[in-house]
Amino acid sequence: MNRRLIFTLVMTIVVTLSMFVANQASGNRPALGLDLQGGASVTLTPVGDFTDAALTVAVDIIRQRVDSIGVSEPEIIRQGNTVVVNLPGVKDQQRALELVGRTGSVELRPVINVAQNPESTSATPGVGGSTTTVAGSPTSVASSSTLASPTGGIGSTRRAAADTSTSVPSPSTVDPTTELAPGQTVLPGRKDGLIYLLGPVEATGEVFNSDSSAQIDAGNWVVVANLKKGAEGEAQWNALATKCFNGGAECPSKAIAIVLDDEVISAPTVQTPTFDNGSVQISGSFTKSEAEDLARVLQFGAVPVKFDAPTVQTVSASLGKDSLRAALISGGIGVLLVLLFLLLYYRLLALVVVAGLGLSGLLMWSIISWLSKTNGLALTISGAAGIIVSIGVTVDSYVVFFEKLKDDVQAGRTLRNSAARGFENAWKTILVANTVSLIGAVILWWLTVGAVRGFAFFLGLSTIIDIVISYLFTRPAVLLLARTRLFNRGRVLGVARKTTQEVAA
Amino acid sequence: MLSGFGRLYRGETRINFFGRRRVSFLASGIVLVVAVISLFSQGLKLGMDFKGGLAFEAPVSGTLTVDSAAKVIRDAGMTESDIKIQMLSSGDNKRVRIQMGVQTSDVQKKVQAALSEASKVTIDEISVSSVSSSWGRSITIQAIQALFVFLGVIALFIAWRFEWRMALSALAALIHDLGISVGVYSFLQLEVTPATVVAFLTIMGFSLYDTIVVFDKVHDNNARFSGSKVSYGDIVNISMNQVLMRSLNTSIAALLPVISILVLGAWVLGAVALEEFALALLIGLSAGTYSSIYIAAPLLGVLKERTTEFVSMRGHLSLGADMSHLMKTGTPIGRRAAARLADALEGAEPVSIPIEALLSHPPRPRKKTRR
Repeated sequence: MNRRLIFTLVMTIVVTLSMFVANQASGNRPALGLDLQGGASVTLTPVGDFTDAALTVAVDIIRQRVDSIGVSEPEIIRQGNTVVVNLPGVKDQQRALELVGRTGSVELRPVINVAQNPESTSATPGVGGSTTTVAGSPTSVASSSTLASPTGGIGSTRRAAADTSTSVPSPSTVDPTTELAPGQTVLPGRKDGLIYLLGPVEATGEVFNSDSSAQIDAGNWVVVANLKKGAEGEAQWNALATKCFNGGAECPSKAIAIVLDDEVISAPTVQTPTFDNGSVQISGSFTKSEAEDLARVLQFGAVPVKFDAPTVQTVSASLGKDSLRAALISGGIGVLLVLLFLLLYYRLLALVVVAGLGLSGLLMWSIISWLSKTNGLALTISGAAGIIVSIGVTVDSYVVFFEKLKDDVQAGRTLRNSAARGFENAWKTILVANTVSLIGAVILWWLTVGAVRGFAFFLGLSTIIDIVISYLFTRPAVLLLARTRLFNRGRVLGVARKTTQEVAA
Repeated sequence: MLSGFGRLYRGETRINFFGRRRVSFLASGIVLVVAVISLFSQGLKLGMDFKGGLAFEAPVSGTLTVDSAAKVIRDAGMTESDIKIQMLSSGDNKRVRIQMGVQTSDVQKKVQAALSEASKVTIDEISVSSVSSSWGRSITIQAIQALFVFLGVIALFIAWRFEWRMALSALAALIHDLGISVGVYSFLQLEVTPATVVAFLTIMGFSLYDTIVVFDKVHDNNARFSGSKVSYGDIVNISMNQVLMRSLNTSIAALLPVISILVLGAWVLGAVALEEFALALLIGLSAGTYSSIYIAAPLLGVLKERTTEFVSMRGHLSLGADMSHLMKTGTPIGRRAAARLADALEGAEPVSIPIEALLSHPPRPRKKTRR
């Protein structure tokens, strides 16, 4: 028991410290948000004809796209007739352009032929290079997907669609370097290592309503998109679908390519000539994230305004250096006051709180630094203030524990006994209250964007750290300290242990 | 005799929270009514991140910095805190961009003039354009939808872990805290920025957390007293007195940094951007602690009193020394308890209880002495 506690305590401290040192050594620092550090400002100027309403829609679409990248709280505004996208902490301006600059128009083109991409390094299983299987076996091409109309609500229609999802033409017959007919083009697939010979653009992503979603059908991830009514949507789509279903010279492969930014995202085979109920289901061997990506492309893909080449500038922090300094100084003093208060109140036991908060701080610093590097996380002033407030909740775990401990000591138990009982009791409370916080954080993170998402992230992070430190640091630390002679002498906790006579009286 | 603090420190307070619930309900009710009236009559003052505004851009030739531009704007008579100043640079080309809420054309000209003077360019070189909100409508709608899902799931969790009456009371306390915080913003016409929204969410999280900790205590005590005839009001009172010190300590720990940011950061060091954020947190966090003890728990008592388990004891409260006795022994004592016992036994045959049943342990058998 004793040895296990010491082991837990030492391990927690060692792991936390080494995480911190590893992050420091590899130069990871928390990235700061637009208000604290500035970042890159990308300006998009529309060209050609556009209406005011179209520009507003474009701003919304760009916002959705940039927001869905992560928790870094970008800022998207319309300034006059330009769209300004401010990305925090992006020092690499090329990356900023990549994120924002894509025009993002979705094109739907008939697939004429498919081949292995000679430049691709990703080997597709069963295609080329393999000596054990027949080269170019069409059934093992991973990219094949099918397109089915979930009409009539009969389950068998859907299942049939899912079963026959292997009809991409044999890649071995393609020679994409032959002369192209007008309107035709050759484009690479995004991930499948294939190249596609495509017919002219027959429709754009505009045929779909912007409510495409990834769903599970019969155990597989599918993407469901709804067509707009009338000539803008259904008519265009059905014309293309019929053409491809019949497999004429213009669309011999019976597949439609979904193209975004000159990359083929997916090339599903058409299963029905017309889609009467306005709903299109794209199935194939999607993973969850692939299905979600495709749904997102169909949702926001087409921006109704063409933009000129974007320009990038560096933007400074919107809060002056003074504000940051003031926030840091006053926040730090606030934390010191809290520690002072706890020292006055819990005497020697407060040392555990000081050490625990220190460890929590190091852990949070490490995680934020690491995520700044890998996920483009950026700390804004409200995020920083949220962390300062979370100190209150973290301290509460100690307070709940120590109050229980004090009660027990007062009631005449030994300190050693009280510590064990007190933690058991407090742990239940800490766990249930933190679970509620965690549920809230997960829901908010999952369903929102921007500043709210940033908040949810820091709430969740501080809650998890609180739970971990409570169990792996506070518990062993207090249980061990309660056995030392120092803590059992006199009024260490500020309350005297009553003698048996006093309790009885 | 112990001082008030001494009693608090030793957990020996005997405050009748449940008996005085009408006072706290009334006080909160009045504040909430004022908040709602204010919200409907004057609404919230939304900042430029929600409403959009103006953007000035000036080329920088001299030594204009973000801080000195801020001074220029203040000297031009702008007192609002909701002004965003940024420096844009690509290569040697530097521009300063200033965003603010919608202004009259007079103010606009004044700012332009001040800027042209500071950056030593003609007034025509300072561009003015309108800016849209950066906090899009879709973000707000998404956030509100998420909030409802959040409340629903949390309510289900509390109902599953504790009971639905606690879920209802916790949500009521949550709405109370948010109502007061938003009400203060509307009443004082403070500017709502994205930071304010984050502050409101923080308040929500804290309020919920605090209420759960308090309810966990009530839940424990409910189990502890399930064997004895104790009114739910007593359970609430005892739980609140037991948890009082914890709540005070926690709120001190949560509020000290916020007060420090407000007083030291915003007022002494002059970082106005922090002021409203800290103010929102100060009000909301205080309301969060208050509502757990004075709103959520008494409300739970009111709901729970009427259940069949507790309806017979409704209205009976053990106070003062009686409460102490109840807390220590787990059984009620005193005139009221005796009267209640008599009520319960009315009509029943008086039972003579053997002395062994009243003692917690049976008496030890007499030692066999060897003769």
